[in-house]
Amino acid sequence: MTVPLISATEVVERAPCGLLAAGPDGVIVRINATMCGWLGMQPEDLVGKKFLTELFTVGTRVFFQTHCLPMLQVQGSVAEIQVDVPHHDGTRIPMLMNMVRQQIDGRCHDEVAFFITKERRSYERELVQARKTAEAALDARRDADSKLLEMNAALSQADRRKDEFLATLAHELRNPLAPIRNVIELLKLQLPPTEQATRPLAVLERQVGHLRHLVDDLLDISRITLGQVALRTERVLLAATMQAAADDTRPLAVAAGHRLHLALPDADITLDADPTRLMQVILNLLNNAVKYTPPGGDIWLGACFEDGQAVITVRDTGIGMPQQSLSTIFHMFSQLTPALERSQGGLGIGLALVRGLVELHGGSISAASEGVGKGSRFEVRLPAHTSATVAPQPAAPLVLPVAQRRILVVDDNVDVTDTMTMLLETVGHHTAFAHNGADALSTAARYRPHIVILDIGLPDQNGYEVARQLRLREEGATVFLVAATGWGQDADRERARVAGFDLHMTKPIDFGKLQAAIASLP
Amino acid sequence: MSITTRNNVQVHGTGPTTLVLAHGFGCNQNMWHYLLPLFADRYRMVTFDLVGSGNSDSAAYSRAKYGTLQGYADDLLEVIEACCDRPCIYVGHSVSAMIGLVAGIHAPQHFSAQVMVGPSPCYINDGAYIGGFSRTDIDELLDAMASNYLAWSSSMAPTLMGVANGPDLGGELTTSLSNSDPAMARHFAEVTFRSDHRADLPRSTIPTLILQSTQDPVVPLAVGDYLREHIAGSILAVIENVGHYPHMSAPVESAAAMSAFLRQHAL
Repeated sequence: MTVPLISATEVVERAPCGLLAAGPDGVIVRINATMCGWLGMQPEDLVGKKFLTELFTVGTRVFFQTHCLPMLQVQGSVAEIQVDVPHHDGTRIPMLMNMVRQQIDGRCHDEVAFFITKERRSYERELVQARKTAEAALDARRDADSKLLEMNAALSQADRRKDEFLATLAHELRNPLAPIRNVIELLKLQLPPTEQATRPLAVLERQVGHLRHLVDDLLDISRITLGQVALRTERVLLAATMQAAADDTRPLAVAAGHRLHLALPDADITLDADPTRLMQVILNLLNNAVKYTPPGGDIWLGACFEDGQAVITVRDTGIGMPQQSLSTIFHMFSQLTPALERSQGGLGIGLALVRGLVELHGGSISAASEGVGKGSRFEVRLPAHTSATVAPQPAAPLVLPVAQRRILVVDDNVDVTDTMTMLLETVGHHTAFAHNGADALSTAARYRPHIVILDIGLPDQNGYEVARQLRLREEGATVFLVAATGWGQDADRERARVAGFDLHMTKPIDFGKLQAAIASLP
Repeated sequence: MSITTRNNVQVHGTGPTTLVLAHGFGCNQNMWHYLLPLFADRYRMVTFDLVGSGNSDSAAYSRAKYGTLQGYADDLLEVIEACCDRPCIYVGHSVSAMIGLVAGIHAPQHFSAQVMVGPSPCYINDGAYIGGFSRTDIDELLDAMASNYLAWSSSMAPTLMGVANGPDLGGELTTSLSNSDPAMARHFAEVTFRSDHRADLPRSTIPTLILQSTQDPVVPLAVGDYLREHIAGSILAVIENVGHYPHMSAPVESAAAMSAFLRQHAL
């Protein structure tokens, strides 16, 4: 059997791959029949007439220029480059290209082999497409995530602004309350003790009291949210606080026709708590019970010791709560939703404040109700101890008949100085007033007061500064200095003490407490 | 991560003045291999890899930062601040010419002159402006890159197929020429070929040499004229060359044009 002789040229011409060679200028100098067939062109249309790169589509051409040529120059060859080569009729043929740069007589010649890769390319296109889709999805996800983060930040910012707004609002609302309370106290002293005179006054006093509580609660809750409340913790006997809270609430409960049942714990339960805040918690719960129980109901206040915790319960036979409200009643504004059949309205500040205070003490609060009309049960749990002995609470100082004092009242609010001086004079003191720091100092020099009640927020200089200057003077060395601030924070108290104040009072000044303080002076 | 590690900064040659050379798209600093010896006796030269290319620190890559040329321009200014105590002569190839333009507008005090090798402010035709490509062309180009980057590392590896004269560079250099990260390279391609910095051209205040090839398949000759008209005080030099890399295929001619320009500015 004879093997037909096939020339090397024939092998090259009919090889199962496209072959071509390009000269130093990039012009095609040889091209085999296979490649010409794939292109649908004749060799004479190409050889000496077309650049190698002219075989490519525009995109391939740029890729070839930017990626392949530098590689070719540096390393002498490139392999497995994917290229798109248009057929004469315009259809694109995907090909794989290998290329070698040869030096012939000191000049570069490029030898190129092409393979058609239609099947492989379509498979790779799917891969590329899948990758694109995945990346687009990832990008979209990233965008969504970053938008979510931005929105969260904006929401926290808005929330914080709301808290700051509430704190400022409460503070501003407090200011006008001071002269109003002063006038009520004044009228109580001046009006004849007849039913006709005292009843409207009692209404006024009660309503201003409510208003003040509301404003105080609002201020407290916004401060708790802003992290501005510090507890003045001491060892507190729970039973004593419960007794005091019950005593405080009883008149209100009786007025509403309720029976208030107090069950003090058997053992001595003590807490490390801020006594004022603990009282506030229990009072708020009791007031809530009074408010949401129809006339003639029963209210129970009790406590026990359980697993290292004091469990304080307030129960009532009131309007109760639907199940779906139980989880939200401790949020501010929760009562804005008309969930309660007989809504008493309100902002829902009270319970939010109670929760905030309980949590500040490291405790927890929960609410239970068997449903609307079936009463409510609130349970506060606070870290506690048993059987520790606690010194008995000192009795509140009695208000005694007072010696006449010279009192200088300093406040930039004319209504405050007017009404406070009137009040003080009505109970027998002698007064003077000033509306700024400079006047306060000059008045003090002339008037020689026993007591100075000094507002901290004065227009020309702050009250701390006035106090310091006053203390340096002869007339100020022994004077009893009372600071009056709208903010009542612990930091204020400390600043007041350092500045030389003897007493710090939160505006609006409780006249009873002021009187007691004045009476206790030597 | 120091700037010099992040951008794989290398220093060559000695001289009172520093050339800072930035490679273009699809390559790395080894493309300066043929040009460096021609300046090494007169200039100190700083070469580096753009983040995402060559031996840069790929951990420094972020799609957000490098989503526009500004991210690369910020890096360039950091490289200059880290390596030069006087204003430098900046040489940017292809897209790096525009990176230098952006950096020079932002901090002209760092530049005494700039050389743009094969620059284009915009690759896409727009009305009377001839960028060389239609939008469809660019899409097709990005597509071609995407399919090649799939198997990038293997296709670009230096398989030496019986090359008679052997490669010009040592094995280490050729390897590093091809080791761009595929995903980053693809993103870079999009950012490069879709960029349009025509509006920035009049804001450049730095003496500029525009170095063009007579036949650059990536940038039409008209782009050189456009650049010269829009960059105040710029000079256009067209050198006889086929291809987008005159500093590789015609290094002597490229260096001569650059030297003439630098002499003119006494640099």
